[in-house]
Amino acid sequence: MNTRRRDIIVPSELSDLGASRRAFLKTSGGLVLGFSLLGPAAAMAAMRELPLDTSVTAMKGSGAFAAVDPAKLNAWIAIHPDNTATLFTGKVEQGNGAPNALLQIAADELDFPYEHFYLVMGSTTETVDQGPSYGSMAVRYAGPQIQHAAAAGRQVLLDMASKHFGVPVDKLTAAAGIITVAGAAGKSITYGELVGGKRLDVTIGASGETFGMKVAPNAKLKDPSKYTVIGKSVLRKDIPGKTTGEFTFMQDVKVPGMLHGRVVRPYGIESQLLSVDETGLKDIPGFVRIVREKNFLGVLAETEWGAIQAAQRLGSKLHRKGPDDGLAKWSDWNGLAATDEVWDAVRKAPGKPESVAKHGDVDTALKSAAHTLKATYLTPFETHGSIGPECAIADVSKDKAIVWGGTQMPHQAQRDLAELLGFPVDKVEVRWVEAAGQYGRNGLEHVMADAAIMSRAAGRPVRVQWMRWDSHGWDPKEPAIVQELEGALDAQGNVTAWRHHMWVPTLSDTRLLPSELIGKPVGKQNLGSAAIGYEYTFENAEVSSHNASRVGVITAWMRAPGQFETTFAMEAFIDELAAAAKQDPLEFRLKYLKQPRTIGILKAAAKHYGWQPRVAFSAGKQSARMARGRGIAWVNRDDSLAATIADVEVDQQTGEIRVVRVVVAHDNGLVISPDGMRNQIEGNIIQSMSRTLHEEITFDHAHVTSRDWTGYPILRFHEIPDSIEMVLVNNSPEFMSTGGGEPSTCPTAAVISNAVYDAVGVRLRQRPFRPERVKAALAKA
Amino acid sequence: MSKTVHLKVNGRSHDVSVEPGTRLLYVLRDNLGLHGPKFGCGLSQCGSCTVHLDGEAVRSCILPVEAAEGHAVTTLEGLGTVDRPSPLQQAFIDEQAVQCGYCINGMIMTADALLKKNPHPTRDEIKQALDGNLCRCGTHMRIVRAIERVAKAGVPA
Repeated sequence: MNTRRRDIIVPSELSDLGASRRAFLKTSGGLVLGFSLLGPAAAMAAMRELPLDTSVTAMKGSGAFAAVDPAKLNAWIAIHPDNTATLFTGKVEQGNGAPNALLQIAADELDFPYEHFYLVMGSTTETVDQGPSYGSMAVRYAGPQIQHAAAAGRQVLLDMASKHFGVPVDKLTAAAGIITVAGAAGKSITYGELVGGKRLDVTIGASGETFGMKVAPNAKLKDPSKYTVIGKSVLRKDIPGKTTGEFTFMQDVKVPGMLHGRVVRPYGIESQLLSVDETGLKDIPGFVRIVREKNFLGVLAETEWGAIQAAQRLGSKLHRKGPDDGLAKWSDWNGLAATDEVWDAVRKAPGKPESVAKHGDVDTALKSAAHTLKATYLTPFETHGSIGPECAIADVSKDKAIVWGGTQMPHQAQRDLAELLGFPVDKVEVRWVEAAGQYGRNGLEHVMADAAIMSRAAGRPVRVQWMRWDSHGWDPKEPAIVQELEGALDAQGNVTAWRHHMWVPTLSDTRLLPSELIGKPVGKQNLGSAAIGYEYTFENAEVSSHNASRVGVITAWMRAPGQFETTFAMEAFIDELAAAAKQDPLEFRLKYLKQPRTIGILKAAAKHYGWQPRVAFSAGKQSARMARGRGIAWVNRDDSLAATIADVEVDQQTGEIRVVRVVVAHDNGLVISPDGMRNQIEGNIIQSMSRTLHEEITFDHAHVTSRDWTGYPILRFHEIPDSIEMVLVNNSPEFMSTGGGEPSTCPTAAVISNAVYDAVGVRLRQRPFRPERVKAALAKA
Repeated sequence: MSKTVHLKVNGRSHDVSVEPGTRLLYVLRDNLGLHGPKFGCGLSQCGSCTVHLDGEAVRSCILPVEAAEGHAVTTLEGLGTVDRPSPLQQAFIDEQAVQCGYCINGMIMTADALLKKNPHPTRDEIKQALDGNLCRCGTHMRIVRAIERVAKAGVPA
């Protein structure tokens, strides 16, 4: 097997398809270099290293772009002659470092040095479909798959060494990519020498699919006490190149002969395209053509600037005055709920009921209670707001297509694009390239469809990047959610009734927008779901949801979808009950919890913070302009627990909230990289602070009106806390690794709301907590 | 009609043929093949396109290419490489001050310009200098720490 450092932007590779692509690679074997020669820069190049033909032999079926066979060792691991190795995974990097943790797991189980082990992610002809990279599930589900494959690989290498040396396996030890014969000084061989450039074409077995797939079921795993890489804060492989510009993002990929495309979206969400005056574009240098298919409109030009100018003339701009503003004319559609009307629209949307919990008799308990409370919590539509707008390249020919994209689900995108184009799945290849951070389903799947539609029309490769207003205006949104809560206390301050009802529009509408615009919808329109983990032990309790359909715009998952909102309502309302019962909010919660791990994280957070029991806002109004308060909340998100305590300051004149100190206790079992986890927790906290304090998508009756960073502000540097402190709980091998990408997002809004109450005695029940809203609440208090 | 523009980028001279008014960002990325500066908003709101013009941090997404003629343009690539990172780039690596990394160009270019003017900024001065740069992943704490590393060490950025 030849090895070479593959760069994504090697031009002659990109222009080829299938077999010819590999033929090119064969002729480029001169690129083989040892790592020692390359130095640290090799890290970047080797991230994209690919052994020749690995994917070819591991393929199932005979199509142009057949799937990878997970039952083969070489579907997962390649060992190169220079004693470097590559791990292949269908999971993809989105900025959270999870695939890097998968590499650590593989390095440990294969007994191979992490420093010389590299990743190939996502591309459909190179990696196994391990399911989408969402829901904080990469390490939990793909981790064991890769761990088993690597353990099987280690066994295969030991068997090969046993033959090589003519000694039994139990006389061999494997460490750091070298196998040594016990008691025979100098008798050792590197994995690279042993494999000798061959593919690891060995059947290790696999059953099931995606998240549920079992790989190499007979592999014997390492004793966790022998872990050397798992549990270590290793340096992430992608970071050096991201600090120097040498890293290649999706947005940086170029393909020879490609045109630059821009989309022109409808004026109103459901406006019809009436006419386009193409003659007004002819004088734009580099302009090639428009692509018009029903309500889909795009432009193509030889230069990016030409495409931007053409799109602008047609109507793609930040401030669009009306459906006639531009050379494209749209019907005047006004069917959208405007900003203040969205919650009514959510309540009225058709859907289905779901019961999460039902204990005792809530109505009777409410009637006989000493004290009852009722509250409505409102949360807005939000955008993922990736800093780099969505980008993709497609090269569609008559009967096959290659699409470059940064999607979190390349294998699903392959199937969806095949449906869109009317091709068999194995005639479409998705080449995955990391894009700007996405935090859920943003527009990265949609822009692949944009590029495919335009490339099909043009017969040339097409690169599409969305403009800022395309991304803010049209990426799938986190939906607005309405929640009503009702609770009752007896005379001693015990909770006697709890009712939590929510209206949740779909969190997983996977219809591709461009497919709707061309009138050939691809993707599913699911209903919403009660995204909540209810764990309190109230005697009389009802938790239920109205799971609604699409409300106005396409909505799909965004970091802790739905559960960021339900945790806000549940954990703020229990604080309301604690205050009404004149009890310490932590002790009040603990009275109604019994899961040891839940109690464990709350106590761990309290201990680290230095929590002293007292009733919230018990000292009354503070005389200082900057009033200080503390808040607490917790979540169980898919078996990962997070408890957060924060100190905030409220400016009683301006209504500005500043989060000063944050303590997060986190229990997601064994943590693969503590520093990676800390990076994620800091990110979750800052981003959820941003969502809590600032973020809201606004609408008029036609479309999204918050289409840039002025209309949709996010947190800035002057607002960051002084400290974010992390306590890891149950970080040990007897506790399964669960997710860390989302849990610590969930408690933040409740923590801040509760801390604001503690500071100024005002309850904030509607996000975002912008200064004007806080000021208005203070004035009413 | 396209015209020839003479640019000096990272110490090297280039003659590029572009349409008048083309924004500097697209010339750097598409004509010169540089990946440091990124398209983020095209509105001068987020900072991911930041480059230096004679040492000043500017937003290349709104700057007509002609405005860069006669000035020294520096991009992220001009500060250092993975093999030889600048002290500030090394500090970002040491602090692991990256999540997705798309905004990092703007963070480093803005901080580098700050440190060249003010080698020992306070935390507040760092936050103030970066307040116009947006990060969506929430890497702010680490970015500040990385810059503080250089500010405290007193080494040139």
